[in-house]
Amino acid sequence: MVKGSSEEIREVDALIIGAGPAAAACAKRLVDAGYETVALERKALPRHKACSGILSPRGHRFLIENFGPLPKETLHAPSSADGVTFHFPSMLSVSMDFDGGPTPHLHRKYADHWAMRRSGAEVHDRTEFTGLQDKGARVDVTARRDERTVRYRARRVIGADGPGLSVVRALYPDYAGRIPWFVVGQKFHAVIACPLDDKYFHFWFHPELGHYTWSHARDGRQIVGVGFLKGDNFDVRHQRVVEYLERKHHVKLGPAESPEIVPANFGPSLINRYIFGKGNVLITGQAAGFFNMIAEGMSCALHSGAIAGEAAVESFRNPADVQRVYRGMIASEVRRCSDQWNPLEIAFGRPHEADLGGALKKLKVRERLGVLREILSFTKLYAPLNWGRQIIWQAVCRRITGRYPPTRWL
Amino acid sequence: MNTTNVSSQALSTEAPTQTAMPADHVHPDSLKGISRRQTNPARWNGEGWDVFVGALRAKNVEVREKKQTCRVYATDSGGLAYGMPHGVTLAVSAEQISTILKEAQTHRVPVTVKGGGLTTEGESVAFGGLQLDMRGMNRVISVDGKNMTVRTQAGIHWHTLAEVLRRDGLDYLSAPLNLTASVGGTLAVGGIDINSPRLGCSADQAVSLQVVTPTGEIRECSESVDPELFERVLLGYGQFGVITEAVMRVRKFTPITMHYFYYGSLRDALEDLQLLVREDAADYCGILTILDKAINLLVAFDSDERERVFFEKWRNRIRGHGEPAFALRMARYYCLRPWRIGEALYLLGRKRALEPAFNPSQYMENGKIVDRAVVFGNQVWKFWGGKQMVIPDLAVSAGKYVEAIERGNAVCKKYFPRYTLYCTGIKLSGRRERYELSCIPPDAVDFAYGCEFEPILGDTVYSREYLQAFKNEIYDIGVDMKTSYYRFGGMMKGYVRRVFGDEPVDKHLAMKRADDPAMILNPDVIF
Repeated sequence: MVKGSSEEIREVDALIIGAGPAAAACAKRLVDAGYETVALERKALPRHKACSGILSPRGHRFLIENFGPLPKETLHAPSSADGVTFHFPSMLSVSMDFDGGPTPHLHRKYADHWAMRRSGAEVHDRTEFTGLQDKGARVDVTARRDERTVRYRARRVIGADGPGLSVVRALYPDYAGRIPWFVVGQKFHAVIACPLDDKYFHFWFHPELGHYTWSHARDGRQIVGVGFLKGDNFDVRHQRVVEYLERKHHVKLGPAESPEIVPANFGPSLINRYIFGKGNVLITGQAAGFFNMIAEGMSCALHSGAIAGEAAVESFRNPADVQRVYRGMIASEVRRCSDQWNPLEIAFGRPHEADLGGALKKLKVRERLGVLREILSFTKLYAPLNWGRQIIWQAVCRRITGRYPPTRWL
Repeated sequence: MNTTNVSSQALSTEAPTQTAMPADHVHPDSLKGISRRQTNPARWNGEGWDVFVGALRAKNVEVREKKQTCRVYATDSGGLAYGMPHGVTLAVSAEQISTILKEAQTHRVPVTVKGGGLTTEGESVAFGGLQLDMRGMNRVISVDGKNMTVRTQAGIHWHTLAEVLRRDGLDYLSAPLNLTASVGGTLAVGGIDINSPRLGCSADQAVSLQVVTPTGEIRECSESVDPELFERVLLGYGQFGVITEAVMRVRKFTPITMHYFYYGSLRDALEDLQLLVREDAADYCGILTILDKAINLLVAFDSDERERVFFEKWRNRIRGHGEPAFALRMARYYCLRPWRIGEALYLLGRKRALEPAFNPSQYMENGKIVDRAVVFGNQVWKFWGGKQMVIPDLAVSAGKYVEAIERGNAVCKKYFPRYTLYCTGIKLSGRRERYELSCIPPDAVDFAYGCEFEPILGDTVYSREYLQAFKNEIYDIGVDMKTSYYRFGGMMKGYVRRVFGDEPVDKHLAMKRADDPAMILNPDVIF
């Protein structure tokens, strides 16, 4: 602690903004290597987090290997999901199990808090990041706690605050306005009758329902969620999905409760436009643009967060440009994440942790063609974003060079 | 799958046990078939540390607890596992180590031993507890030229030992290629050199040992005195005691003559290597690959007589080309495939860099290398190593060798643009207890064969997950083919049961529990 003329400044090796999976993984790497690490979280912990909670097997393995076995309180009921079921407008449904068996249905409020505690880092909750100044050797950070300004000085700052993008905004004030934003919302319903298999996460490739439409069971209730481009009305969208489920799938639900709405930045991982920070400030997790397909952001948050921590550790131990180290290390995660959206990888590779190709092969040829046609028709929803050419170009680059061009990263 | 899945009622939310991979409350069938990549989710909780340190200080044992000191020990040469000890002690004597281990048993404090720190899976990384740095015990105690043995403290580096022996015109028998390994660490894991096809692994040159057991007894052991302890400690991965002194066989120092043969086929080179090993045709032999189609088989001799016999009897039976003939073949190959110019340039670049490195004028006399320790130990790591040792390996029996290495080669190709394979043989000295649960595969007879798969990382940085994923894919070949590894333990702990089965692991676990009741010595390496 440095005593200044009027305010004390907390000096640390690394300051992490956020207390979610990316922050916990990053903190784990730093603490393991013996570096003093503090994480700032604007809410009181444990804090609620709107999320489907279905973690990929890769994320599950990461949690076990880095934080230990998941305790009961970190899981909803059912505690796991066997796989994903895709539903199409033709009423054809395709189910596929996750590789390696059932995967956790996380209660984010407690799972995030548990992982953060297990990381060994010091966490300052109710402390909201307000700004930073990179001074070369150190980064000065200001935050607010209990209406007071608190100050930190860190050798590295890691922005792991999800779609809030507070650190990104401090570095690039106009960034948030330059990317398309989606709204993802969910409501909880008492179940009157629900023929949807509660062991699966259900996703609808239906252009009339939304860009991202899903439903699954949680703690005796049914979640109905919908994602769409910012600007539309959530209640109207949601009601449309509820009526569709009743009409087409005979799902009878009670009145909607507990609406949750969050912003989502799906774009960067589709078109390889990640944002990794500058100087001594690294951006990671969803804030950097990592989002797996079907909007599972937790596993890539965990892995990219860990890589940010590794890069910081590496730059401490062997003085080097931390951005160069981070961008070198993160390339494998970019590849993994962007592959999930890459049509060529989906067609010729196996980028997902569930066997889509195998599930399609079980269909008759005519059904298979129908499914492909419906997926194609669904992607037209994204036409206004003009991502098509970019996606195709990135896919071709990946096929030829084996990687996604880092020149597109911010 | 290496996870022990148990019903949710039986689960604990605490850190994983020493023997089973952690399971949790998600689902009994979760993560089936998905292999583990890391097994150190939590640091030791520090319970009893202060009392332990107080007890040691009362007995004049120095423990350094400053964070800056501990941080020096945060990782090993592999650079993938990181952990912080609560304190560090520099080893100075067997008596001091005895005191430490007795107190550690009483207070149940983990003690992790580190010599050269050349482990690659975190075996010498302390995830809390005390780090015992053996490099404080680095003296040669006596050289017996009559009986051709040396007695040395175990924390000594091989290159220091070589320097001391050289003064008396002597040399060690076999040491690992990286001479900054410590003698004690090497004897505890194996140690492979390119003369291992003739002389066996480094551990087999030990005549007797002074060992501090996990309960703090100081014991001398050899094949005739306390042979059970001797066999447990050699290739014992530090589970059954700390080697503090070793008596090892030595030999007369001789300059060596080296010859290189070049192959366009990995399979041909491996088969020829096996022939030379089996027939004892050379004093040293091994393979270093440059590209899939540019493979180098090196042979070397301690005497002109052995060299002459090789050229008379064996040269025509191996398929390798001399350098001019191979250069012509390569020139023709790349002329017909001009789009592979990058590969050709890489090959030329390697040749230009390696040739002078392996024939350094200051270490050459009359065409012989007068200091193989420097040439091999230094140059090999200079040109093949990186700042991080990413060298997963496979140790296999003769019949499985070619297939295992070809599969490993395919994995390298998937992950890295440039890599090298270092292959050699290991002569076994009969059927020894020490070979059980070790780098010697259980089905090896007379000889085992090994290969290190080493990416050439250059300036490219990779995430730990990427490098570990590569290593695990190599290790998975071992599980599939029931082989072994030069080095296992640490983050490979999960592989031990998968590759060897329950029976030998349970047997060693029972021995470990009997010898180390509090399970404090080198925890998380195997058990």
